[in-house]
Amino acid sequence: MRFFDPHIHMTSRTTDDLEAMSKAGVRAIIEPAFWLGQPRTNVGTFVDYWSSLVGWERFRAAQFGVAHYCAMGLNSKEANDEGLAREVLAELPRFAFKEGVVAIGEIGYDEITKAEEKAYQWQLEFAAQHDMVVMVHSPHRDKKNGIRRSIAVAKECGVSMSKLVIDHNNEETVQDVLDAGAWAAFTIYPHTKMGSERMVEIVRQYGPARIIVDSSADWGVSDPLSVPKTAHLMLERGIAAEAVELTTWQNALDAYGQSGQIDKEALLRTPSIDQRQLFHQNSVLRGQAPRIDEVVPNN
Amino acid sequence: MSSTREYLLRCLEPHLDARAHEWLVSACAECEALPHQPEVRFPTLISLASRKVPAKPLAPTLAQRATAHELVSGWNPERWTVLEAVRAVLVLSRAHLAGPQGVAILDEVFRHADIGELCALYKTLQLLPDNARFTWRAGEGCRSSMSAVYEAAACDTGFPYARFDDVAWRQLIVKALFVGAPLHRVYGLDGRLDEELARIVLDFVEERRSAQRGIVPATWACLGRNGGARARASLLTELSTDHAAGRAGALLGLARAGYTDDFKAYAARGDSDPLVQQALGRALAARPTQDDYAPLFGL
Repeated sequence: MRFFDPHIHMTSRTTDDLEAMSKAGVRAIIEPAFWLGQPRTNVGTFVDYWSSLVGWERFRAAQFGVAHYCAMGLNSKEANDEGLAREVLAELPRFAFKEGVVAIGEIGYDEITKAEEKAYQWQLEFAAQHDMVVMVHSPHRDKKNGIRRSIAVAKECGVSMSKLVIDHNNEETVQDVLDAGAWAAFTIYPHTKMGSERMVEIVRQYGPARIIVDSSADWGVSDPLSVPKTAHLMLERGIAAEAVELTTWQNALDAYGQSGQIDKEALLRTPSIDQRQLFHQNSVLRGQAPRIDEVVPNN
Repeated sequence: MSSTREYLLRCLEPHLDARAHEWLVSACAECEALPHQPEVRFPTLISLASRKVPAKPLAPTLAQRATAHELVSGWNPERWTVLEAVRAVLVLSRAHLAGPQGVAILDEVFRHADIGELCALYKTLQLLPDNARFTWRAGEGCRSSMSAVYEAAACDTGFPYARFDDVAWRQLIVKALFVGAPLHRVYGLDGRLDEELARIVLDFVEERRSAQRGIVPATWACLGRNGGARARASLLTELSTDHAAGRAGALLGLARAGYTDDFKAYAARGDSDPLVQQALGRALAARPTQDDYAPLFGL
């Protein structure tokens, strides 16, 4: 099977992960801009981080046959540093139109503060103005209310519901998102958010339409193989193959493909790997023989 | 309008539909009206181009390629894409690029560029007015280990040959061996071989052999008539390996260095490998050039 993990922070992951993802059938990923576990102190670190998302990380993933796309934005946590947030938002237009940028994201609320709302609105208006998809991070605390408000503010700012993806849903929030006409994404975390078993039941209850499974794997305890593992569990537990494909591949492709930045035909071709390619003095290889034109199984 | 810009517009004609053409005309007009200091709009237009024009090959005709070389010595747009040509046209349209702020204006674009933009910008440096101002920048491109970026700065352009000092030039050559770039496409290689380069390359060969690693065939294109007895011994050692492309490269090297007796003695031993036979044929016809290493690239 082939999989699309439309939310994963590869900058925090190793080449072992990329290799395992490739072997497990993960063909494409989206890396949304997020915080790095602690607050940044100046705009330059945002610029360099965003540069790495359209540079080194894309290149590194390609060496393992994984197509890398990204979303650009100012996350909710760091929106609370208002002085820095102003400087960061001023830089955002420089990166929003780069090749492979499929959305503005991940943006939204953390503590649902005024400062967060200001940055969220600014970015929603920017996305609406440029007809871009938006990836929304929903808050850990006061999630249900946070999601309702995220949707309402997105509507106010002129974002089409067909271009709004609300992420980190659970059983309590999914109906609101589907009723609004937006895409409902679910992050499968081993200990928090959503487990694979619960995901199976959600697909069984709500069906596969507009539902997306992702890993959001990052620098914390998380699993970059969440999407393929959940797909296999869905099949084991009697979810139709078509529904599994929709929730772990096609829906993400349809939602983010609206950006015009995903070459769908190229994604369907069997990928090959050329690890001879290097990036800025660094190869991902450390002395081992490069894998050249090794075909990645695509079945 | 510069002659190179006119030339690129002619090459682009068959590739742009009415909508893309209209966008390009409008974007060029914007570039022509921009202020003398760096600002956000110019880099944004360079980014936006990827959403307006296709990234397919420019595919200049043979006659067009000849014209390119006449316009700018060493320029070969054979591998340019339509998107790269459009970006070059935008750069050439930028007001005040020839003025004292020209380097700062372009630095601003480089600072935020993604991989595709970097490639287009490095390919464009050779076309700029008073391009010696961009020598440091071109050197940066040749320090990249991402092969696409390195090739954009180092290959199919006469810029390094004309502008680089000896240290930068030698680093460019050796870097090509490290990143596996097509050294035969470095314009002017045969015209700037020297003793110091031969020493560096022969040291590198000894490091590789100590580590029991193979030698890239193009290595032997870096010697010319330099290196003396040490070069001859190293070439003869290569002829005793089981790496056919390496033997072919070393044979070309012997012929280039003028070691005719060694070359003929090896020919008489009857190495039947097709690559070696091909190399022998070329060397017997005339003194081999860097172009004769093309068939050995990647082997």
